[in-house]
Amino acid sequence: MLKKSFIVIFWLLIWHLTSLLVHNNIMLAGPVNTIIALKRMILTGEYWQSILFSAVRIMGGFFIGSIIGILLAWLSYREKYAEDILKPFITTLKAIPVASFVIILLIWAGNKILSLYVSTLVVIPVLYLNTLSGLKATDPKLLEMAEVFRMPMLRKLCYIYLPSLYPFWNSSLQAALGMAWKSGVAAEVIGQPLKSVGNSLYQSKIYLETADLFAWTITIILTAMILEKLILKVLKVCIKA
Amino acid sequence: MLIQIRDITKTYDGKIVLDRVNLMIDTASDSRDVLLRGPSGIGKTTLLRIMAGLETADSGSIEITMGEAAGGGKKLRVGMVFQENRLLEQFSAVENVACVDPMISRVRAREALGKILEEEALDKPVRELSGGMQRRVAIVRAMLPASDILIMDEPLTGLDPETRDRVINYIMENKGRRPIIIASHETEGLPKMRELALV
Repeated sequence: MLKKSFIVIFWLLIWHLTSLLVHNNIMLAGPVNTIIALKRMILTGEYWQSILFSAVRIMGGFFIGSIIGILLAWLSYREKYAEDILKPFITTLKAIPVASFVIILLIWAGNKILSLYVSTLVVIPVLYLNTLSGLKATDPKLLEMAEVFRMPMLRKLCYIYLPSLYPFWNSSLQAALGMAWKSGVAAEVIGQPLKSVGNSLYQSKIYLETADLFAWTITIILTAMILEKLILKVLKVCIKA
Repeated sequence: MLIQIRDITKTYDGKIVLDRVNLMIDTASDSRDVLLRGPSGIGKTTLLRIMAGLETADSGSIEITMGEAAGGGKKLRVGMVFQENRLLEQFSAVENVACVDPMISRVRAREALGKILEEEALDKPVRELSGGMQRRVAIVRAMLPASDILIMDEPLTGLDPETRDRVINYIMENKGRRPIIIASHETEGLPKMRELALV
């Protein structure tokens, strides 16, 4: 804990010294100005509305994308031809730049729930590939044991598959959540839905409010971090690994 | 119930592992229990796996004639101890036994395990138990679910002489009328049973 605090203080100090050196609040706002801006923002209802707006959509997309990715992975695990059919789809999803997704979806679906669509599409390949790897890594000897004892599917899932999937989900959910927030906010910056985090970031840029921009960035990082910890905690409680 | 194994042959990479093996088990007979004997690599495990339906023979057949008492027409239910323990390492001994069959409550699993395992070992993750303790969990897991036949591959591995006797007593007292097929190098303490030597 002491070590962590020291590291945080060290980097805050570097940031502060650099901002003093640059001596230009538009180019680089220091930590003090950023904290002042954050404090001012926190006291407004708009700040919390924006977070709620973005979090609901981005996390909604994250969950929908995770569920689709997991179900598709299960299908591919059970049927080899499904894996072959899905391969080009997943490769394409992985390769398409987020900006292309955003612009295409902006045309198709408008800007209101753009971040939900974008984060869904970004999360699908991450969860698909990791879940499929986890399923394939399931101990065949345990599956054979389950076959001999005719274990019901639900029990096989709880006792054999989920513990095998845990390490894969633990890392992929962290990566997917980070990607969902990055792409979701990027989608909002391009799509400009009102009262969203992305829109607020954009407004800070237009009015050259660098401190506000940093404050919003910190908000995004903290929100994503809290939600990540929460999800990983739930995962740990639900799966005995 | 009558289990007839006829001319089972199995080859791996051109090497004959089982060559026309025959065995008949009549569950009504007093000689329904069988001890499979033979040196390592002779095909004991392969035969047990074929009987459990985990592998198919290249030729030959296993015919099962169910009597009414066995619930005629059902598929053969097997209680099996594998060569390795194949336990769910992060789960407790009780959970390992209870998880395989929804009909087995934790209370029943605990009671059965308590006969051959120390009380303090029952709720620990099995990865924290010794090899011998894990073996006993695997044995109880095979014994407790309702089954038509018990198949045990080297069930006494890793057990000290005193524990081995307790385990053998537990198996013989709780197997009921189910036939048991045991492949084992260690025969000390085992009750007299029909022997099938693989050569």
